[in-house]
Amino acid sequence: MGTQHVVTMLPGEGTGPEICEAVRLVIDASGVNIKWEYEDIGLDCLEKYGTLLPDKTIQNIAKNKVALKGPTTTPIGTGHKSANVTLRKVFDLYANVRPAKLIPVLKRPWDKIDIINFRENTEDSYAAIEHMVSDEVAQCLKVITWPGSYRIADFAFKWAKANGRKKIYCVHKANIMKMTDGLFLDAFREVAKQHPDIESGDIIVDNCCMQLVRNPAQFDCLVLPNLYGDILTDLCAGLVGGLGFAPGANVGDGCAIFEAVHGSAPKYAGMKKVNPSAVLVSGIMMLRWLKEEAAAARIEKAMFAVLDERKHVTYDVGGTAKTDEYAQAIVDKMHAKA
Amino acid sequence: MPTFTEIAKATKKKREIKLVGVDMYIITEKGTPKFDDIGAFKCEFISNRGTKVWPGFVSPDLLQVNWYRCRFMATKDVQDADINAFLDALTKKGWWWSAAQKLWTYDGEPGFSKAY
Repeated sequence: MGTQHVVTMLPGEGTGPEICEAVRLVIDASGVNIKWEYEDIGLDCLEKYGTLLPDKTIQNIAKNKVALKGPTTTPIGTGHKSANVTLRKVFDLYANVRPAKLIPVLKRPWDKIDIINFRENTEDSYAAIEHMVSDEVAQCLKVITWPGSYRIADFAFKWAKANGRKKIYCVHKANIMKMTDGLFLDAFREVAKQHPDIESGDIIVDNCCMQLVRNPAQFDCLVLPNLYGDILTDLCAGLVGGLGFAPGANVGDGCAIFEAVHGSAPKYAGMKKVNPSAVLVSGIMMLRWLKEEAAAARIEKAMFAVLDERKHVTYDVGGTAKTDEYAQAIVDKMHAKA
Repeated sequence: MPTFTEIAKATKKKREIKLVGVDMYIITEKGTPKFDDIGAFKCEFISNRGTKVWPGFVSPDLLQVNWYRCRFMATKDVQDADINAFLDALTKKGWWWSAAQKLWTYDGEPGFSKAY
């Protein structure tokens, strides 16, 4: 066993706990040495703590600096703040890294998609500054700052360079929102000057959506403000097979939280029916973040093999396997290859 | 024929509006502001880029800019004139502010968001 990593596990609610148990089974079998510390988050916390994100959970993440999170649901219109957004704000997890890469066994109409989206995660319309400014007008402030924009662009260029990527485009609507998106684009261009070895450019968000659907292979890395990033990352996930296989990482300078981006599917809770792949591929991202490349590659290879065989896959990809049976099949595949 | 605006407005429920506070957007290079009570207003929280920076836990890594939203809630029933006096007092104390947003409740429900 190598270096021990201490990781906060946030199972979430609904199907989250059964998904996270399946993922833990696979990760623990990969040879990596992880001590998991479980903490509460999400709807189930409301009755116990009166909040979706208890202080105890915040303190544990602050200590460990890395967490793997299952799905949670934000109640709509109840006044409770989203646990996800609160986590991003409290730990200043400013970079939402959302790769979209074709999984070979999932038949899609494109030959190649390999995009990394870098979504600014803390500003824009998500600054939680909303007012009813009269009894018939609601207003939401879109907050874009130079330091926040500069920081996500800098993060993206450095990540791209470290991972051998060649091209970064800034996605914006600066032709209309000249102050806010204009500032975001200016900061991107300033950072781009420092990285002449990486091709850079910009594209207006609506055109980017059309281009993504028509010819996604043309894109390599995209840097986006929060709202466009929220939408386009799901669009990209849809291109490669849906949210069920979409990993996500929320990264700050002092902390990283890896999570699936789909919901908690409460109607399936306890049925061990859902596909845990999104949390698993997020776990693979986490292992790479922890410099555990061998374990990450082992899991990825075994997962693709199990998906390719289609004997032990979940209902959403045409199988009948339970969540834990799919996970066990991946473990068996890893051991068979060892 | 009523206009579309008239039709739309007719569907809107009449609600009781009450002034309960004011959000102040303050520019300072000196870090998170600190306030004593000003007249009938007490500072409830301060946020920066939408993240609460006072009171409570603040990540040491949190990126902050020179623009703070400071929420002041009324400690008694107040009128618009009290807001005017509050703004005057705040300015005299040397605070530079970019905007003020009155906070109202509508039938008792807040017409304003909390900070994260």
